Formats: sequence, structure tokens, C-alpha cells
Amino acid sequence: MAKKRPDPEIEAAKEKAAQMKAEIGTELPPLKAGDTPSEEPVPAAAAPAKEPKHSKLPYEKRKALYGYGFIALWMVGTLLFFLIPLVTSLYYSFCDVQVNPGSLDTKWVGLQKYSDVLTVDPNYTDYLGDMLLETLWKTPLVLIFSLFIAVILNQKFKGRVLARAIFFLPVIIATGPVYRIINGDMSSTGNTGAAQFSTMFSTDLIGELMNFLGIYGLSDNMGTVISTVADNIFGIVWSSGIQILLFLAALQNIPPSAREAVQMEGATAWEYFWKITFPYVSPFILANLIFTVIDSFTSPMNSVMNRILDMKNDWKFGEASAMAWIYFIIVLAAIGLVTAIVNKFIYYEVD
Amino acid sequence: MSENTSINAAGEAVVKAEHEIGSGMSKKEAKRIRMETMSREELAYLRRKSIAEKVWPFFRFVILFGLGFVIMYPLIYMVSCTFRERSDMNDPTVMWIPRHYTLSIIKETIQAMDFWKTLRTTLVLNIGCSLVQVISCAITGYGFARFKFKGKNLLFGIVIMMILVPTQVISLPLYVQFRYFGIRGLFTVNLIDNMLTMYLPALTANGIRSGLMILIFRQFFKGLPRELEDAAYIDGCGPFKTFIRVMVPNAASSFLTVFLFSVVWYWNDYYVSTTFFTNTKTVALMLTNLDSELKIRLFNDPTVQISPREEIVWKEAGCLLSIAPILVMYTFLQKYFTEGIERSGLVA
Repeated sequence: MAKKRPDPEIEAAKEKAAQMKAEIGTELPPLKAGDTPSEEPVPAAAAPAKEPKHSKLPYEKRKALYGYGFIALWMVGTLLFFLIPLVTSLYYSFCDVQVNPGSLDTKWVGLQKYSDVLTVDPNYTDYLGDMLLETLWKTPLVLIFSLFIAVILNQKFKGRVLARAIFFLPVIIATGPVYRIINGDMSSTGNTGAAQFSTMFSTDLIGELMNFLGIYGLSDNMGTVISTVADNIFGIVWSSGIQILLFLAALQNIPPSAREAVQMEGATAWEYFWKITFPYVSPFILANLIFTVIDSFTSPMNSVMNRILDMKNDWKFGEASAMAWIYFIIVLAAIGLVTAIVNKFIYYEVD
Repeated sequence: MSENTSINAAGEAVVKAEHEIGSGMSKKEAKRIRMETMSREELAYLRRKSIAEKVWPFFRFVILFGLGFVIMYPLIYMVSCTFRERSDMNDPTVMWIPRHYTLSIIKETIQAMDFWKTLRTTLVLNIGCSLVQVISCAITGYGFARFKFKGKNLLFGIVIMMILVPTQVISLPLYVQFRYFGIRGLFTVNLIDNMLTMYLPALTANGIRSGLMILIFRQFFKGLPRELEDAAYIDGCGPFKTFIRVMVPNAASSFLTVFLFSVVWYWNDYYVSTTFFTNTKTVALMLTNLDSELKIRLFNDPTVQISPREEIVWKEAGCLLSIAPILVMYTFLQKYFTEGIERSGLVA
């Protein structure tokens, strides 16, 4: 054992050290400071000495090096394709950006773009308000709905496999352009028949159902209420695929013993839901909540996003960036607030 | 010992009683006797339960059918539109069942979307990117799950940021970056319209929704028992060998699930691809530009006027064509989409 061990480890350490050095030296300057001390002993271990010198490098430090090795690829990518563009976009938001053939000219104007966007732009603040309001009432509905459906889909009945297959369909369709078309939003292609799509798929649907059931003489008021609900049912059903999936997974983690105990005590299904199901799925409520909020904020369907895109297509990069950043900060604040509140009401099972 | 005997005794008594019931009395009688021995609460509970058991399946069916209809409606409508002639769109009596069946619409749409070529490009791009991205995200996720290093929390904060920041925020500087890719002053390459704009981020765990994927893999690897790796370490495996030989085989099914989701996300993406592609066409891009393509390729005239109502026929056919491959995949691999999630660590 003692003879067998050192070789592969030293080999690996050598390789790793060389690799790390190359990476740290060339591509990842920020890491240099933290890593210099641990860098020294590794070449020493790599020296011709046959004794198991790797013991000089503390185990913890070696593991840390491996850790950097595993995430090195991601760090390079993140620097290039995430952090630099992010900072650049922040910089643009403080600038007057001129697009010339072959180059981008930027002139620092401070907070002017932000004040322009908030005070001068006729639509932005309205869109922002609508968006926030919609997320505020839609998110709880999506959560309640998906939990409800998950509970049903978790029961045993004939045709359950088919029902699940249908309810998960939005997971694979709702992120794409097909959903935009069936949801009646074709603004990106400047389609004039947009109104027709939307009427066909939501208002008509409930009208059909009403006729089918033989209900005609409803007052106008009632009609509008029903058609708004129908409109939103469509949106809600179509945006809760992943949430149903997650809740269902959570439900299947409830130990059968809990169910047995409850049946012994003679609890109703209602009590079972509130005393057993709900506490067990509550951690997932937070996960789903955050997912839903992010999904609705980052969906290319929302009006703020479209406004930002329009700005970009007009080559107004400064305004577009400022808009994106205001929006992003609001989203962050909203998620932070929600997480803080919900975290207080969550039951974590202590193992 | 005494407990055992008492249990045995009780068991015998029950068997005896059942025997008596079975032989001596009719079933009805037995039921009556059981009912009499119950308290009022028990009876009420049983009654409630039996009512609920009879009524609930009916309600469940209504709920599932109604909501399932909301999901299936657009799909059924797509199929219905695809196989009708466009004059049927103006016929108010035609809602679901076309009056004139035809295959010409779908043929025209295939032609307008240049479907087979587009499909091939999209598949190569999707599968390639997804494969590379799953691997890079798994490696990164493993690094975050099992190693302690300086600045780990900060770095993981960046992963969370990747999930939160909408692509729209960074797409513009990214465009500029790909347009003049390289080291400034030394050399620059124009990568716009090159597939590398998709491959490079995927390769470095920064592709579409890769933040989420890193998070999933981290959770998953955290959930695996540490003993697995310890055994490998003692046998003289380095961390990389351990990862490939021990962890990857254990994660096979969750790899597949994440891969499938990744394929779907790449398939559905049109935002990133519109930003970087001008001539390269993916199915999603073709669908978003379908109406202009229609006019150019079918009528050789970009200014031709088609009534929007008739245009729906081609649009729906286009939709059907673009979700068909994904639907086929979903039908065959549904198990991995729905059950894989439980094992893939999102649930930890």
C-alpha cells in the first residue's frame, strides 16, 4: 500500500500544479494573490526526489488546488462571457453610446440616462409597474395551482401517466417561440393579425365552453370576469410545468409512514394536506417561488424586456443598458425581499 | 418473551374470530357486528371517507380534463390547421374538422422553412452544445460540491448571479465582444454568425441556463455519499480519476435528464441565436421569421398580401413542424424528463 500510493498522487499533483500555474499565470490574474503561497511547494514535490514529498503540502491545500482545477474552465468562461459583458453593460448605462461602422464610441454622461429613462421615456415606468403588479398576483396563483395539480397527479388513478405527460408538456414548449405564437404575441415579427390569435385561444375558449354547457344569458360584467379568468388560466397552466414537476418530486419524498400514522388517527384529507403535505413541501415553495419570479421577469414575453429590445434595435445602447439595470436591481430586490419573508415560514426537516 | 406470547395470543384470537365469522355467519352479519362495535366518531369518519372516495374521482376527472384541454387545445388546433386548405379559414362552419383535407400546406411550410436543412443544423448545434455544456457544468458543479477553497462562497454567488441576470442585460456587450473576438491590438476575429458563439460559452459552462445546471449538479453531487470517493482515494485515485471513474457512473441518469432539458432549452432558444446569427438558421429562428420567408419563398414577392387569417394556416403548420421533433423525443424519453428530476438533485 505504502509503495503503491505515492506515485499516482505525485503524478496528479505535478500535472495539476503545471496546469494551475499555466491557468493562473495567463488567464486568471485575480487568483494570483491568494494562490502564491500554495504554488511554491508543488514544484518542490515535482522535483526528482523519490520520497513521498507530497506530504509537505497540507492535504487541505492540495484539495483546494483541485477545487480550483475543477472550476477553472467555468472561471475562464464566466470572466469572458459573463463578468466582462456585465461590467461593460453597466458602463454603457452611464454613457452616451454612438455606433459607428467599425467602432463603438462612448462618452461618460453620469446618471443622465437613468433619469431620462425614468422621467422622459413615456412607456418604461408604466411597463415596469404593470410587470411588477402582474408578477405580484400571478406568482401566488401559479404556486397554488401547481401544488394543487401536483397533489392530484400524485394520487393513484387510471390514466395517470397520460395526465402527467400532458401537464408536463408546457415544460418543453413554453420556453420557445411556439408559445409566443399560440399565446397571440407576434410583436417581434410585426404581425398584424396578433389580435386574432389571442382571441382565438382564450376568449373563444370560454365562450365555447359556455355555449356547450348551455349558459347564454350571463350579464356582461360576469362575462368579462370569466374571460379574464380564462385568459389567465391559459397563462397560469402554461407557466407552471416545472413547478408541478418539482412539487410532485417533493410529494414523493413524503414517507409512507406519515400517511399511515395519519390514517390511524383518522384525519381527513384536508387535515392530511395541512398537517403533513404542506410542511413537507414548504421548502419547495420557496424554490418554486424564486423560480417563478425569475421565470416571469426574464421571460422574453414581458413588456419591459421588449422595450429594452426595441431600444437596442434602435441602437440606443446607453438607454437600453440603463433600463436593463434598473429592471435587474428591482428584480434582485424583489427576490431578496420574498426570500427573507418566506424563509420565516418554512419548515425544514431536521435529520 | 412475555410480550411475544401475548402478541401471539392476540393474533390467535383474531384468527379464531375471523374463522368464526367466515364460517358461522354471513358477510352482512359480520359487517353489522363490526359496525355495532364502533364508536359514533368512527362511523362518521367512515361515512365521510366513503362519500369522498365516490365523489372525488369524478371531480378529479373534470379538473384534469378541463385543464388538460387548456394545454392540448393549441396542439389540436395546430394539427387541425395544418391539414386544411386555407379557404377553410374563412369558412365560419369550420372550427375543428376541416372541410377540405390537404397536404399542400405542410409541404409549402417545409419548403418555406427549408425544414430538413434547418433541422439538421439545429440538431447538430443543439446536441453538440448540450453535450459539451452538460460535461462542463458537471465538472464545475462537482468542484463546488466537494472542495473547500478560498473565495468559494463569492464564486458561487456569481453562479447564482448567472441565474438571476437576464440574458438581455449582457447580450449587447457580448455581441460586440464576439464581433471583435481576440486580443485587442494583436488580432481580432469576427465570430458573428459562427457556431462558435454558441459552442464557446457552452464549453466553458456559460451557455443557456448553465447557472441553473451548475446548481443542479452541485446539489446532486452533494447528495452522493462521501464514502464513494474516500474508497477511491484510498485505492490511490486522484480527484480527477475519481470523478470520472466513480462519480460520473453514479450520476448517469441525472446526466441524461439534464442533457434532455438542455436540448429543449437550446431548441427553444431564439433570443441568443437572433443576437449572434444572421445567416445560420435554427428551427426557432425560422419560425419567428416565418411570415417574411413565406412571402419570399412561396410567392417570390416580399410585398404580396396574404390575409392574416389565412396566414394562420402556415403559422400553425410551422409550429407543428418545430415542436414535432421535441415531441417525439418527449414521448419516448418522458420517463427521464419527469422521474429524472427527482434524482437529479433539484430536490435536495
